[in-house]
Amino acid sequence: MQKSTIQFLIINCFLAIVLVSCGSVTKNYTPKKLDKTSYQVPYFSDSKTDYVYKTNITVYGNEISGIFIAKKINDTTHRIVFTTEFGNKLLDFEISDTDFKVNSIVSELDRKILINTLKEDFRLLLKKEYLIQEQFGNDSADIYKSKDGKRDNYLFVSKKDHKLEKVIHSSQTKEKFTLTFSSENNIFAEKIEIVHQNIKLKIELNYFKSE
Amino acid sequence: MKTKIYILFFLLNISGISLFAQEQKMSDAEIAAFKQDVNVVSKKIKTLSTDFVQYKHLDFLSKDIETSGKMIFKEPSLLQWQYKKPYNYSIVFKNGKILINDEGKKSAVDIGNSKIFGRINKLIVGSVSGNMFDDKEFTISYFKIKGQNLAKFVPKDATLKKHIKQIELTFDKEEATVVQVKLLESSEDYTRIVLKNKVINAKIDDSVFNN
Repeated sequence: MQKSTIQFLIINCFLAIVLVSCGSVTKNYTPKKLDKTSYQVPYFSDSKTDYVYKTNITVYGNEISGIFIAKKINDTTHRIVFTTEFGNKLLDFEISDTDFKVNSIVSELDRKILINTLKEDFRLLLKKEYLIQEQFGNDSADIYKSKDGKRDNYLFVSKKDHKLEKVIHSSQTKEKFTLTFSSENNIFAEKIEIVHQNIKLKIELNYFKSE
Repeated sequence: MKTKIYILFFLLNISGISLFAQEQKMSDAEIAAFKQDVNVVSKKIKTLSTDFVQYKHLDFLSKDIETSGKMIFKEPSLLQWQYKKPYNYSIVFKNGKILINDEGKKSAVDIGNSKIFGRINKLIVGSVSGNMFDDKEFTISYFKIKGQNLAKFVPKDATLKKHIKQIELTFDKEEATVVQVKLLESSEDYTRIVLKNKVINAKIDDSVFNN
């Protein structure tokens, strides 16, 4: 199952690269004056908290479920483990803004393109601070633009309760993937979705408390 | 601070010593008697249902991840693991297939395509019924603890060993049935499953395994 998935993934990534279309993320938003130069994300920032989520991954129609675990192990680095419901470890990463290490991964998932995709997704998911260069707005949110190498991140912060609700990772011309957060208390996110626009990959995380 | 560390070392030392004192190697005669007991009991098992609590221990987490539910087994190889807390997830092993019900979302996997799943299935059935004393598959060592017997299984197969370093089955001495299963992935990370409220040979309908 996984082999064919990976092949699909590779084929479709090439297709996606060929079929890049134009359009900027911000075209529908009004430019505004900067009200901050950096933004701190609270959701994975506490080193005392075990962040444990029931997870569903949908990739080209295939479903994989399991448990996603993240923990801040020092100032810059998070440890990430994904296990089956039985507890078998499927992957084990260490990730920071600048470093990335695979501690272990089962052979079925050990494909460069998959690891790179997850690396990008998780790095953004766990990122604690964004430097802001431009600001926009729409009816419900303040939108902050933060440079990320050749790409950009757009942070959507709700006007109503000042919560980070969405991050769009985008090239100059096209959205690549979107993180959506639902948070009650603005300290951690109970529900997170990572949706890719150019490949059929969706990761859903639902926080759960152990007994 | 220093005193605290001393106390900690002292406690670790004591528990270390007492562990050694408790875990005693069985003699050849004891091994033969123990295997005989387990075989007699496991031959009598037509059905088995038990509550379980699963503790996923990862070295870097501050707390084990605790999930719990019910396990039902029916001869010759129908098996259901049903997690009820903190989420509903059940997995059935049946006629060479794995049926998954994830919060109402159903899916099926053919074990025929997945050698490792087939092996794991055999292991789980073996663990629960206690009958997996296969010298061809494992290097087995036997120990006595107060009121309990302990068998440690190290897989001989390299592929299996990559997933599971060692399996430890703890048996109640009187009943000769399994009370705890511990799957070690490495020296630091393991899954510990405690079985309780065991009911043997109650009538269980096949429809339980429809999932």
